[in-house]
Amino acid sequence: MSETIKVTINDHEVFVPEGTNLIDAAEMAGIHIPNLCYLKGMRGIGACRMCLVEVEGMKAPMIACTTKVKDGMVVRTDSEHLRELRRFIIDLILSMHPLDCMTCTKAGACTLQKYAYELGIKESSFSRKKFGHSIDDANPFIKREPDYCILCGRCVRICKEQGTSILDFMGRGVGAKVTTAKDIPLQDAGCTFCGSCIDVCPVNAIVEADRWQKAREWECKRIDTVCLSCGNACAIRVSTSNGSIVKVNSSAPDGSAEKYICAIGRFGFDALLSDTRITVPMKKMGDGFQAISWQEAIDIISERLSSSKDIGIITTGDLVNQDAFVLARFASDVLKTENVDTTVSLYADPESMKFSDRVDIDEADLIMVVGLDPDQYKRVLPALDAVVRKRASRGAKLIVINSSQTVLGLKADISIKDDEIIVLSRIAKALIEKGKIENAELNNALSDISTDEESQKVEEMISGATYPVIFCHPSLFGAARNLKLITDIKVVAVPYEANARGVIAMGLVQSGKSIKEMLSGSVNVLYAVGQIPSETRPDVDFIVAQASYLTGLAEKADIVLPAATYLESDGTIIDYTGRVRDLNRVINPIGNAKQHRDIFIELSKAMNSPIKESFKDIKSAHEVGKLEFRPFNRKEGLDTDSQRFIESTNEGILKHSRLLWLTEVAEKV
Amino acid sequence: MTEKKTVKVEDIKKGAEKQGCPIEQSIFFISGFLDGPMCGRCFPCSMGSYEVKIILERIRDGHGTEDDISKLLRIAEDMLVASMCKRGKDTARFMLEWIKMDTFKKHIDSICADKQCKALIKYLIIPDKCTLCGLCKKACKYNAIHGETPAPFQTGYLPFEIRQGKCVKCGDCIDACPEGAIIVIDIKEAELSAIEK
Repeated sequence: MSETIKVTINDHEVFVPEGTNLIDAAEMAGIHIPNLCYLKGMRGIGACRMCLVEVEGMKAPMIACTTKVKDGMVVRTDSEHLRELRRFIIDLILSMHPLDCMTCTKAGACTLQKYAYELGIKESSFSRKKFGHSIDDANPFIKREPDYCILCGRCVRICKEQGTSILDFMGRGVGAKVTTAKDIPLQDAGCTFCGSCIDVCPVNAIVEADRWQKAREWECKRIDTVCLSCGNACAIRVSTSNGSIVKVNSSAPDGSAEKYICAIGRFGFDALLSDTRITVPMKKMGDGFQAISWQEAIDIISERLSSSKDIGIITTGDLVNQDAFVLARFASDVLKTENVDTTVSLYADPESMKFSDRVDIDEADLIMVVGLDPDQYKRVLPALDAVVRKRASRGAKLIVINSSQTVLGLKADISIKDDEIIVLSRIAKALIEKGKIENAELNNALSDISTDEESQKVEEMISGATYPVIFCHPSLFGAARNLKLITDIKVVAVPYEANARGVIAMGLVQSGKSIKEMLSGSVNVLYAVGQIPSETRPDVDFIVAQASYLTGLAEKADIVLPAATYLESDGTIIDYTGRVRDLNRVINPIGNAKQHRDIFIELSKAMNSPIKESFKDIKSAHEVGKLEFRPFNRKEGLDTDSQRFIESTNEGILKHSRLLWLTEVAEKV
Repeated sequence: MTEKKTVKVEDIKKGAEKQGCPIEQSIFFISGFLDGPMCGRCFPCSMGSYEVKIILERIRDGHGTEDDISKLLRIAEDMLVASMCKRGKDTARFMLEWIKMDTFKKHIDSICADKQCKALIKYLIIPDKCTLCGLCKKACKYNAIHGETPAPFQTGYLPFEIRQGKCVKCGDCIDACPEGAIIVIDIKEAELSAIEK
């Protein structure tokens, strides 16, 4: 770890790690150095010159964003001269900025407004400049108004680092414009609408398309929670006003490049109010559904469940831990059935979920992505793509091993296009040859494997790394974990669903019939919890669906119970890196919807064997597991298509919010 | 594009010195700077020099005020400290040189000592020297000179005159006049002397 050194900022002594820049160092001391173009976590570019500070011993002021701290540095961040320089810059920017703060969306959260206020500039003393750039509002997600732009370049840099690199400057100096190549609308330029540019824009130049007139920034309540749309479980910050959601941002402090969320998490919240949203219990009547009361629904279900024998329960990996634990109790204590399975079984085995390591990606200096195809265009684990690429651009090595061509492979240091199992065994062989490790089972298994140039290169990289991490497809987990026998490496199987690790840890492991068997009709009564993808109605007598959207299996059910979505529930999850994450309730469930666990408890009361809300300690739920040799092969039956799976579990959001526009545009092309 | 980048601040400065009046010189310089070496990577230099150009053009057009001089001074001083690279700082240094010159103050008073700034001067034909040859009328592309060469069969004649509204002060008539009868005068000075008379 790097050493700590002492810096004096405005007479405050701060101890910061070596290599920190002055802005971050001052932040640690609680001193804000004004800046417009700096993005925390990214290298400073020194464009806005707002962060000029006086360093003792230096003739001229220096910019804080690119100056690294030195031991014993004495810094002043706020002298009259510096204020004059800052005033000068804000004055210049204001001379070309539309001064309509009274109706501006960004008012209250605008950095320019903040500094103008602090420096006391009412209007520019310089000549008024107008450019009249055209507004791009051709899509329902992101609105770009270049007239507001202050040319800080934050969006351009974040788009390069996290997004699909479509934004850039056109022209230079005053009158330049941030836009796509050839100045075409975003959707034609290959934008995936992740909206990272919205998060970083300090002014009103890039905002959510529907943000205006919804609520002022200072009226919004901000709640941090987690998006459960896919296996990445991104941290989101939801702004609400009067009980409705105004916008969703990535949960990073303003002006930092730490987090990424995709279009589903950011713009999919419309679906909460769509027609397919289930708000009341419903009973199948002919072709349609009829609304019934909770009491009626509970009565029908409890009677049916008490009288049936062969009951199957299927659920998803989107359940929060608390719901999953109560469900496990409900299955074993109330329904007394063994037939419990989750959609996790479609793509992962319990072992890979249980024994995956806990990793901190920000520490990793070597990342291997094996058999996974994170893709922002297809929205398959997009955040993994962003996070891995970001680590790679900040110094970590990246190795991509996949049997087909991947988008991520283009950015990798080494991209191996070969069968993953063969490559993994070659790497293991190379590691053994270098490390002279005696392991009879390993040696046996690898006896007829020979190393090649690529595997030796990978071996060198692994040996040279201090925190190597493997992200692999669950079916390859056993093979990848063998590397742990040889060297110190973290192995993580990445699921497609947010809480797959938590659901398994809470005990929802297949013991009786599997989900595939149950969906093909091997039980009498099917109790489906969550958005279960299913194209046809399984051949069973009675289906209870407890879901949020009327899609997939819920559409074919006999009784539908309204469940709260992740934005309406609270609890915890265990994400793919093994961290325990908190979900907070953002808004109250719409209509008569209830959280899953409350429904189970009510049902258990109606069935005369009440269970209490209880919860297994998550810390004990995390298992390290004994390290054992596993044969080098791919687990069978886990080859669910990732894109189709994620699309079908999120059908309610994708097809019934403004995200539908994306498919419409894709079809037109 | 690559050619433009090789243009150095000093080269533009040399080119500027060939221009007549210091205001013209500085406008030439700042436009050359904005078109060429200005990279646009930092705010004070790109936005500052753009503003300088606007102010200078205002002064050239005879609308300058005392305030403009102090604004120029402020931009130059702040640009010198705040801009990122040598090019911006050099430009600021040159600007500080000009602003110290008296000519800037004179221009604010609408006097161009070099008689270059078109908004501050006018062309005049001195009737005493004019031989009514008509060469200037032929030379003028803008039809700004009116007058008639006397014909033997006509009594009286129309003296040659420059219509100020049409005149663009290109200087073609001065070159054409064999008698040196066309002169450039300062509008402000002419007014002042008229008052004195």
